[in-house]
Amino acid sequence: MKHILVAVAMFFAASAHAVCDEGKPATTPAAPFRVGERILPLLQNYCVSCHGNQTAEGEVRLDNLECLKLDARLDLLNRAHEQIFIGEMPPKNEKQPTEAERNLLTDWVSSELRAHNASKLEDKLRKPEYGNVVNHEKLFSGQYKDLPGFTPDRRWLISEYIFDATFNHLLGIKKTRDIDGKRMPIIGGSLRPFMRINITNPFLLPTHSGVRYYDTTTLDGGHFLTMVNNAREFSAFLMSLSKSHNSLPAYNKIMATEWAHEKLVANRQSYLKSNIEPLLRELYQDKHEALLPVYVASKPVPVKTTDAEGKPLKREEFDGAVPSRDDLDEIYSAMRRHSPNGEKQDEALVTTCEREWFISGVNELNIRLRVAFMRNWMDELLKRRPKAPAPYVPKPPVDSELAIIRTAILKHRKAGDTYAAIINKCTASWVEEFKQERLKEPPLTDAMLADIVDLLFTKILEHSPTAQEKADDSALMKSYIQQLGNEQAFSKLIQTFILRSDFVYRSEFGAGQTDEHGRKMLSPRDASYSIAYALTDSSPDKQLVEAANSGRLNTREDYRREVLRLLKPTDQLYFIDESLDHGYVDSFTDMPIRKLRFFREFFGYPALLPIFKDNKRFGGNYDNGTNRRLVVEADLLVEHILKEDRNVFEQLLSTEKFYVYHSGDNTAMAAATQSIRKVYDYFKDKDWKNFDVEKLTAHLPFLKENPIPGLNLHVLENGKADMNQVKIFKSMMTDYTERLGNGTTVTAPYSSVFGVPGTAKTRAGNQLGSGEVAKAFNLDMGSWNYPTVQPAKMEHRKGLLTHPAWLIAFAANTETDPVRRGKWVREKLLAGTVPDVPVTVDAVIPQDHTKTLRQRLENKTQAEYCWKCHERMNPLGNSFEMYDDFGRYRTEESLEHPDNLIKKIPDKGTPKQDLRDIYKTLPVDAKGKLDGTGDPKLDGEITDAIDLAGRLAKSGKVRQSIIRHAFRYFMGRNEVLSDSKTLIDADQAYLESGGSFDAVIVSLLTSDSFIYRKSTTTTK
Amino acid sequence: MRTRRDFLKTTALGAGALSLTPCFNLFGAEAPGSGFPKRFVFIRKSNGERPLELALPTFSAQDKALDEKKQPLEVALDRHELPVYLRGLEKHKANMCILQGLSCMMSENGHFSYSSVMGAYKSNRDSLSGIKRATIDFELAKLYPSPFGHIELSLTGNYSTHRTGIVSGYSAPGPHQRNYCYADPMTAYNELFRSVTNPSVVQSDNAMFKFLEREETFKASVLLGYEKQKLSNHILSIEAIQARNLKLSKMAGSIAKHLPKIDKVHENGGLTATAPQKQEAMTEILIAALITGLTNVVTYTIDELSTPMRGLPGNEGDNVNIHGIGHNGSFSGVPADKIRENIRILHMQQVARIVERLKAEPEGNGTMFDNTMIMYFPEGGETHHGSGSEAPFVILAGDNCNLDLAGRYIRLPYHATEGHKTIGNWYTTLLNAHGNPIKHYGDFDLVMARLKLDQSGAIKQFMA
Repeated sequence: MKHILVAVAMFFAASAHAVCDEGKPATTPAAPFRVGERILPLLQNYCVSCHGNQTAEGEVRLDNLECLKLDARLDLLNRAHEQIFIGEMPPKNEKQPTEAERNLLTDWVSSELRAHNASKLEDKLRKPEYGNVVNHEKLFSGQYKDLPGFTPDRRWLISEYIFDATFNHLLGIKKTRDIDGKRMPIIGGSLRPFMRINITNPFLLPTHSGVRYYDTTTLDGGHFLTMVNNAREFSAFLMSLSKSHNSLPAYNKIMATEWAHEKLVANRQSYLKSNIEPLLRELYQDKHEALLPVYVASKPVPVKTTDAEGKPLKREEFDGAVPSRDDLDEIYSAMRRHSPNGEKQDEALVTTCEREWFISGVNELNIRLRVAFMRNWMDELLKRRPKAPAPYVPKPPVDSELAIIRTAILKHRKAGDTYAAIINKCTASWVEEFKQERLKEPPLTDAMLADIVDLLFTKILEHSPTAQEKADDSALMKSYIQQLGNEQAFSKLIQTFILRSDFVYRSEFGAGQTDEHGRKMLSPRDASYSIAYALTDSSPDKQLVEAANSGRLNTREDYRREVLRLLKPTDQLYFIDESLDHGYVDSFTDMPIRKLRFFREFFGYPALLPIFKDNKRFGGNYDNGTNRRLVVEADLLVEHILKEDRNVFEQLLSTEKFYVYHSGDNTAMAAATQSIRKVYDYFKDKDWKNFDVEKLTAHLPFLKENPIPGLNLHVLENGKADMNQVKIFKSMMTDYTERLGNGTTVTAPYSSVFGVPGTAKTRAGNQLGSGEVAKAFNLDMGSWNYPTVQPAKMEHRKGLLTHPAWLIAFAANTETDPVRRGKWVREKLLAGTVPDVPVTVDAVIPQDHTKTLRQRLENKTQAEYCWKCHERMNPLGNSFEMYDDFGRYRTEESLEHPDNLIKKIPDKGTPKQDLRDIYKTLPVDAKGKLDGTGDPKLDGEITDAIDLAGRLAKSGKVRQSIIRHAFRYFMGRNEVLSDSKTLIDADQAYLESGGSFDAVIVSLLTSDSFIYRKSTTTTK
Repeated sequence: MRTRRDFLKTTALGAGALSLTPCFNLFGAEAPGSGFPKRFVFIRKSNGERPLELALPTFSAQDKALDEKKQPLEVALDRHELPVYLRGLEKHKANMCILQGLSCMMSENGHFSYSSVMGAYKSNRDSLSGIKRATIDFELAKLYPSPFGHIELSLTGNYSTHRTGIVSGYSAPGPHQRNYCYADPMTAYNELFRSVTNPSVVQSDNAMFKFLEREETFKASVLLGYEKQKLSNHILSIEAIQARNLKLSKMAGSIAKHLPKIDKVHENGGLTATAPQKQEAMTEILIAALITGLTNVVTYTIDELSTPMRGLPGNEGDNVNIHGIGHNGSFSGVPADKIRENIRILHMQQVARIVERLKAEPEGNGTMFDNTMIMYFPEGGETHHGSGSEAPFVILAGDNCNLDLAGRYIRLPYHATEGHKTIGNWYTTLLNAHGNPIKHYGDFDLVMARLKLDQSGAIKQFMA
């Protein structure tokens, strides 16, 4: 970006005398453009030298701006506005205006833009990427502490998490999880097992690190279209649910008659299906047979058993060839009827069954499949035939019903009809009769319509309708009924509710008296939602609803009481990330989910998941759960630090203790490692290498108390063990010996033997897996002295920024990414800004397999044009070069290129092996420079990322920067100067509480910025 | 060709905007340029596609050796016989390309690839969080908007019954989003052609949208600034969908003219329809959707491993289990390889049906097929348990195709060798050739990356 501000200045300076090109007279703007007397000298002092007539940097000509159309002029002013405001112009190496002068310029440009309602800066300043634009020092200086804080009245589009929680609630989904052997309720996630409903979440949050959920997102066409489909799916599902569970009483009420009719018809059908043959024989006597359809038996086709070359064909297995479970049941059922004791086993049985199905009206395809299956698999069918279940005998209908059934049969049966055809014709006639009967019923009363509207308001929008809303929606329902009938009209009304802005937007409006600053407190109802959604993804719980309804959500103390209550530990679990929570890893927490999620999103380490990494370069199995384990163990660390709630920020940035292959349960992990130790100690001095089945079985009493994974004690006990069990035993002992026979005292409870599980479980009771996570911490799995109590100290690590999860998340597929890592530190911890990469820049580091990545990066970014941005990132990001792109500590950088290959290592091996190919290397240079903490003791040269992390943890500005992000997270917007007191109070709360994040949350959620609203409505 | 800058400008803020509007921008504007839209049909098949089954039986000894050794090769189809299963397309040879040598190791592979094979990423099986980007079909649909934008059809099941109704699809409109698809022909018929087959439902939809528009407009009338803008966007969205419905209503005449005839056997999910019946009916839906202009992009999962193959010619009495034949199981004495071939023959009958019907529809100075590309490919690479080292494509392309590949058997350099191309290169080629100048679509192949082999960008030899 060039010196746009100066260019603007040129225009300002010249405008009074401007003559357009080619001698044409200047176009007179609608409002003459004049630069005030106080502005002109500023422009001349700070701008014109670079953007003069001959030196129009940035390829912007301003000497003829008076001749430009209004749009072009406003576009330029907008660009200038931003540059002046964020302090990018004048450039740092040029003479700088004072703060008052800069304000004067900004205000002036701003007023010009506002005159045309064309200011873009305000919109931009709402966006997360502009969060740091407000001057940090000003915010925390105290100079603006007296400005009254507030948030504008607003609608806030629901997040992807609120969307899921809302639909889970509406659908009545109550998830549970067995944790530590106890069944616990759990909230969150989009999985809806066993529910045939296809709901798509359109409100996905952006994937960048930092704060992802802002109030600036508006519903767009993509959201709406998805919601239209969701509304249809949801209405159909909800109504079917109500039919069985009466969850929508008003709906069940209007459908009562129709469902009663359906039930009657179903009973008649059921009776007919079970009794049609005797009934027909009774009704038609000796004429019955003649009326049946004519059956022609199919002919069996010989089946080849060899291929064209005479080799035996592999036949598909019985279970794979079954036509369907229902068809198989029908086959068994027919076999029982026609060959109860297995007396018929051949083609005669097939033909009998085929005839029965044909007369019954089973469709041709199913008959063909069943018959072919019987012919191909008769031997297996006879072997597998299950015992006959107790026959189902439907309750006989009352006489009047029986009479109706008989009459219908006599009326509809024609010669050649199958039984199914007769039943279908009778059914159709009854359905039509009932339909005509219902048409004669009076329409729904106004009271019934009002009940329906009340019901949907309460259920879907969670409040009662106003009188006007009730009247409008009742009228709408009436019009739907006229078009569609009761059932479809109800469905359409549900859809209407789902598509309302009230459903997809959270409402946060002030109510009551306006104070001297023009603010109102949040309405109690909106406050209850704001507090609930600040800490969870769910609507307010019962206590919050009660507080709102009973006038106990009207003061700051009321807010504090409820926030403190919600922060207390409960038995309620939350999914951290449901998509991770399966198999080898758990992903849940028992703290309010949004508290943990703040740091998860702030650090952004879950971004490692979509990064596709090469197992070979990892030297093991990375993508078989190692990636998931890295994320959940980073989560575990964050949760651990938050639970301690002491010096939280410092701990997150500088802890030397980590979780590595751990469930979070120290006792269970100790037991799991001890079980290995016991087995090893017991057998190590025995002649186990020469054990046979008998010798192994002799140790059964010990093995029963100390089981070895993979070993089947049952067969040992029954004397049925074979050498396979001995082989498993020896494999395990070999593995244990390799791990414990070298002086290691405690080995990690993973398994190195293919197909055999380790000895540890997740807290949900699944097998703990992905032990190769240790490789990301440079741990030799063969000699790793496993710390059972975790988090535990790890070498060469300090804080989350040195956790492999973060390092991989901020790396590319095959290389590190010092630029992104440096950018993250600059923006998230140092409250700094880095401009976007210009579209014209090809931001790719050139390949050169004789140089380290740092050397290549330096070559690429040393040009002044690049360096003015990269100097804010590279000196910080380079310090992380002490880790590779898997987060492994290193002192040498491997120059991975075929030309540099020294030794090829086999691609497959045990988890204990390092399968990386060996390449030439160059020494790592992780030196860098920290600037921007504002603390001369901390700023300066740094030796590496460990040094950097230690300094960052001590920085007050870093602490405040995290608090600024916490503000954005809980408020859903960027901070402005009137939020200064809120931020200072939160910072103080943190310091005074000894570094409690709970204290920060309480401070923010009881601040003026959270509690008070200013109106955004017109006066009409 | 447009530059990246042009593209970013015309797509309103580029990637960020696109990611937030995964579907709606598919049916707004007219197609770029004044010509007819390009149409794309992606046909996904299961059980892998074994490269040798596409080899030309009349290869010279030299070409045969090159093909078997996976060496680069290019021959004209008009001088050769087609493999048995492709012979149903004999008269369309001039429009055909057998494309061998692409790899898809960066996608999921194995039994199932879900959306990954069309997005060139690992999808972490079927997880939403694994969906990394809009799949190629959705990207193309953005370039050629239409009333439905994109239509997905599938014939899948649970080994004994077919899925029915509207169910989760395999394509992705955007990151972390799974598309929906029509799982049986009658559902697709009822949903797609509703403006003709069920106008009362359309009317009630319109009434609902009118009501919502009035209500939201009233709420917005008292708001100022950004809050007003939020509701204005809501109102605009309602208006846009009404505009689309109006457009569909205006197309009712054309839709009625081309309305497919769907047999009664497909009612209520078509549980008693055979696989060939289902395929034919679904193909009819697909053809009608293209001819009427409801969409320009269709993704058709013609089968997956759990699709019950009932009524297959040669195995009429069997419920052929595709997974079973993947493990070489025979049915009623018919070897697995023969059944696999019969299934592919059936697939090609559907492809031929599409080609011939579109060739019969005039468009400009030619036919609709001139502007159409059909791609038939395996969802999981080269075998039943494919690793993705090969992903053969059978392509049928009309005369106005933006790519230069018709009439040829092309084998590209094998995986992990100089000049090798991945599905990422292939999809980049499709996008570049149709106006999206993206540098590279999809994830890179990690083996290629480890070997420092260039793998970025379009396949230049195909760019016409």
